[in-house]
Amino acid sequence: MYIKKAAVVGAGTMGADIAYVIASAGVPVVLRDVDAAQLDRARQHVSDLWNTRVKRGKMTASQAADRLANMRFSQDPQDLADVSLAIEAVSERMEVKKSVFRELDRVLPPLALIASNTSALSISELAAVTGRAKRVVGMHFFYPAHMMKLVEVIAGEETARETIAAVMQFSEEIRKIPVKVKECPGFVVNRVLMAAMAEVLRFKEETGVDAADIDQAVTRGGLAPMGPLRLADALGLDVAWEVANTLSAAYGERFRPSQEFASLIAAGHYGIKSGQGFYSYR
Amino acid sequence: MNEAEEHDLIDRFALATFLEGARLWEEGIASIEAIDLAMRAGAGLPMGPFMWADTIGLDAVLGKLETLSARYGQRFAAPVSLTERVLRGQLGKQSGRGYLTHRRSG
Repeated sequence: MYIKKAAVVGAGTMGADIAYVIASAGVPVVLRDVDAAQLDRARQHVSDLWNTRVKRGKMTASQAADRLANMRFSQDPQDLADVSLAIEAVSERMEVKKSVFRELDRVLPPLALIASNTSALSISELAAVTGRAKRVVGMHFFYPAHMMKLVEVIAGEETARETIAAVMQFSEEIRKIPVKVKECPGFVVNRVLMAAMAEVLRFKEETGVDAADIDQAVTRGGLAPMGPLRLADALGLDVAWEVANTLSAAYGERFRPSQEFASLIAAGHYGIKSGQGFYSYR
Repeated sequence: MNEAEEHDLIDRFALATFLEGARLWEEGIASIEAIDLAMRAGAGLPMGPFMWADTIGLDAVLGKLETLSARYGQRFAAPVSLTERVLRGQLGKQSGRGYLTHRRSG
């Protein structure tokens, strides 16, 4: 199945970045949100991304304008009536996503595919609220989605092989690297990252070594491009906390977040965005 | 941080990464190649966990896990896929085969 027009639902940073990637590859895309102000911010965000490329000499102003012209910003669900793939990127709450899925199931053409950008929720459970479970799939992009190459393509219990194939091909078409994954809490990347992170936090708690020394040792050892504690601060400790708890509920002890992590969350220290995390940014 | 602590940190980070990758594969969540690719493209790791293990040598990885599990417990227990390979003499790059197949260069 060939995706000649796509939609992204939810115009937060993630949704806007995904729509930017699709439009950049020359595929028409509708970015849909119920909130007009959110759509304005998304338009500004993608314009900034293209303008930066123009300033760096990566493309001409008219090429940037052509790409922006591939994007349509819309509050109207009827604008999705002719897309062949819709990617849901709304907030990570099951009830919110389910209501988006129900609406998409109503307004999309019968053969269109629905993908969720969830990093944690069950694809099968989302698929169950639609009449097209075979055509529902996970497409997990990584932040920031305009730079990170990976897309985890997740099959739910009823996802058809053709759906997986179409989404793998589409991911390549928009210059991403798709990897096929079965459904499980955390999928591949977050599961592995959080396992290593939990171990580092246990080490920190036992030894009292500070964050900068730990991060430096890990990068000096050539194990990762960025220290795990700086990475957690950048992603947001509130987000990492949520993932850590989901994973420890699913897999047990080895993912249990440390006491220090719990104290940071309790104090409202969420990393770079709040000015304080494992490091201070004030 | 003294040298022994730094060594311990590096081993715990690297082995926790490898072990979670091995569990994902043993559970059938994704292929070895997919997991290695995902960790490079999605997390920027210079090497995926299986390529890392094959490069270090699976016998060496098993040795590290024995030390770590004696010190820290079951969470560092060696996965079946690792002990099987070591028993068969599939030790990674040095033997041409481990989790991945390696062609000798030159």
